[in-house]
Amino acid sequence: METSSSDTPSHLLLAFLHSQSQTALTRLYQRPSACLSIFRLLGPLERQIVMNLLWLESVIPAATMAAWVPQDSRQAYEHSLSILSRLHLLPRSAAKLALNSTLKTGLRHAIVGGGSSGSFGVPANSDESHPPPSVETLDAYALERWETILHYMVSSGTGRSPTKPSQAVLVLLQRSGLMASVHGGALQITSLGFQFLLHPPHAQLWELLLQYLRMVEERQMDLVEVLSFLFMLSTMELGREYSVEHLSATQTAMLEDLRDYGIIWQRKTSPTRFCPTRLATTLTSSSPPLPTAAGVTSSSQAQGFIILETNYRLYAYTDNPLQTAVLNLFVSLKSRFPNLVVGAITRESVKKALANGITADQIISYLTTHAHPQMRKNKPLLPVTVQDQIRLWELEKNRMKSQEGYLYTAFASQADYEYVLHYAKQLGVVLWESSPRRCFFGTLEGHPNIRGFIERRTAGHA
Amino acid sequence: MDKPSHLSIVLDLSPKQWHLAAQPGSPHPITLATFLSHLLAFLNAHIACKDENSLAIFGALPGKSILLYSSAAPVDDGDTEPADANTYRPFKLMDSIIMKSITREIDALGEPETEEPIGFVGALTKALCYINRVTTSNTTSGDRGVDPATLPDPRILIISVSPDQSSSYISVMNSIFSAQKLASFDLFYQKVTIDVCKIFGAESVFLQQAAHLTGGSYIDVDRPDALLQYLMMSFLAPPGLRQLITVPTQDKIDFRAACFCHKNIVDIAFICSVCLSIFCSPVPVCSTCRTKFPIKTLQRLNASRPNTTPGTPRPPTPANSLPRSTSIAPQSLPRSTSIVPQSLPRNASNGASTLR
Repeated sequence: METSSSDTPSHLLLAFLHSQSQTALTRLYQRPSACLSIFRLLGPLERQIVMNLLWLESVIPAATMAAWVPQDSRQAYEHSLSILSRLHLLPRSAAKLALNSTLKTGLRHAIVGGGSSGSFGVPANSDESHPPPSVETLDAYALERWETILHYMVSSGTGRSPTKPSQAVLVLLQRSGLMASVHGGALQITSLGFQFLLHPPHAQLWELLLQYLRMVEERQMDLVEVLSFLFMLSTMELGREYSVEHLSATQTAMLEDLRDYGIIWQRKTSPTRFCPTRLATTLTSSSPPLPTAAGVTSSSQAQGFIILETNYRLYAYTDNPLQTAVLNLFVSLKSRFPNLVVGAITRESVKKALANGITADQIISYLTTHAHPQMRKNKPLLPVTVQDQIRLWELEKNRMKSQEGYLYTAFASQADYEYVLHYAKQLGVVLWESSPRRCFFGTLEGHPNIRGFIERRTAGHA
Repeated sequence: MDKPSHLSIVLDLSPKQWHLAAQPGSPHPITLATFLSHLLAFLNAHIACKDENSLAIFGALPGKSILLYSSAAPVDDGDTEPADANTYRPFKLMDSIIMKSITREIDALGEPETEEPIGFVGALTKALCYINRVTTSNTTSGDRGVDPATLPDPRILIISVSPDQSSSYISVMNSIFSAQKLASFDLFYQKVTIDVCKIFGAESVFLQQAAHLTGGSYIDVDRPDALLQYLMMSFLAPPGLRQLITVPTQDKIDFRAACFCHKNIVDIAFICSVCLSIFCSPVPVCSTCRTKFPIKTLQRLNASRPNTTPGTPRPPTPANSLPRSTSIAPQSLPRSTSIVPQSLPRNASNGASTLR
């Protein structure tokens, strides 16, 4: 993100919030659900600092608080304070500590209840003729929507034509650089997109949502409304229907977009109510059971399905076309059974993945997170030979380094050659030289100087 | 580092002690209702910290102990509580379940003539068993090598209003040792931390030792009106975080033990050289291991006995090694009271006088 690495907050979204103005954030903090969600996205130390200050009525000197921090964790503490102050939760001056009063009210309301903001969503009255959908229906719906997007991405380069997601999703994919249209033709997945496919679903979801947030301004939407709606969704209850009546115009417009991503569910016949899916309700829990894997598909998938052997053979217990397609990115698949895909990791298959911009670490982390429970008995989890080999294949790719430059040949005499070479060496632009063949290779930057030098010399001779 | 944490609460619900605590004449009056409102806010904050945080509450009632709430238990259909747009539903559900079960248990007590001793040890043991189940269920159900980062970080918070029952000395100590050894197959956490929050009543020797031995914190609440602040600052941080932001530790700990024969708390005792049982006076035969001691030894021991009667209060022994905050002298650490505007006496300073 925009921030430097030493100052990275614990969540992608926080970096985005850092770039927002104080007024926007203060408006956001008026909603208890937003306060609770942002609080959950903070790191553990930041959360504790906020909680320590939350119930104090008066301002306390910063030194009093700092006295609770042992010497060797001072740095972590200062870092946390800076994250909080950039979210405008704490004042920037270091002498006194007090929480932003809007957040204080909002978070207190969230914890002890009270207030009348209605920020946790207004539930719809129960309707006898249309009972709310079951959790299974919601999970199936979310899974179907989400996998449609991913499946479209993964098979875009292969010539097959899977179901297309809606136009809004395509625009989002294109704008986020995950897919690009080549020569005005059909959308093709980019190397960024390949990396995206190997991320855990939670990270994928937030990446898309962040891109959505960045596009909010140009669509003339109110960022605070959009954010607070997302936070409201994250605090809603799975399997309960909510009414759209109390939503603002912006938020009603968002319903359609979020439906395309599988974040909310709406009955076609009753557009006045909607249901959040598991994708929505796990937005702020940092290590959720994978929202797409927890539901309809067999429970073994939630635990992982890949068995990798030391002979590079890979068995994937899955019938999910998406997972097969993702594996196909770096595995050469040999045979397919109703519940099993067999393949092998080969030099060619890994090189293909590397050429697509996927790194060896991403392959290894994908295999680790999706390893079958049987594999978890092994220590280390993946066979070391395979891990090392994948890394070696990546290094292989980096074996050759290309550099642009000029080759100087056909010198009239050895003396001429050495004279020019000496000059070029003084400039430090020689990349390669061969005295017997009287030629050398210089960098692009050195060329004007060398050329001028040779020209001056030949002119002097003439 | 940011992993879910599990909190088990052992709640002392002795009607007699809560009645005494609510009397205006008591040093820091607090009613059960006030206390519960603070406690629920604290519990909500615990769940607010992380969606995956889990919670179990055990009540110690006269003569019995019971599981009042467990976040793992399925919620019986939520229609009992109408949804409301202004509250976060999980909090509301949890609070109502806790309040209902406490009310049910207290109503079921009736008004007996004499109050049985509270089932504190039972509740503590159940809390330990619960933690054992939470931390090992993942590992036994298929694979040992499950990622330790996904296991919850367990701790126990004891909220006490009753004085020590010296008869339960052995069982309390055994619980402490189990807490120390629990989950020791995993190198990431050596023990279950036991925190103690003493709301009312005399300093508890056993609970001080429990907190000290498991690296927890023992707080004697001086200002019940600031109870929530005490809870937030001292007990909200999971053990992993306490290296970064410290919690109050004890300056002095009463390390005295209770004798096995009369269950008195003793300063000087006689220890069986075979099984290490503790006796307040020399005995010819050890009641635990049946070892017979020579009559000469008995005479010599009797002759050397100090003249003070056993059970005389003595200033508590200073804690020689504080488990945390080694870089800072313990005295320089602020107490929880330093946040409260007025300066108040430290919680351990009155330890000796109240121990009777």
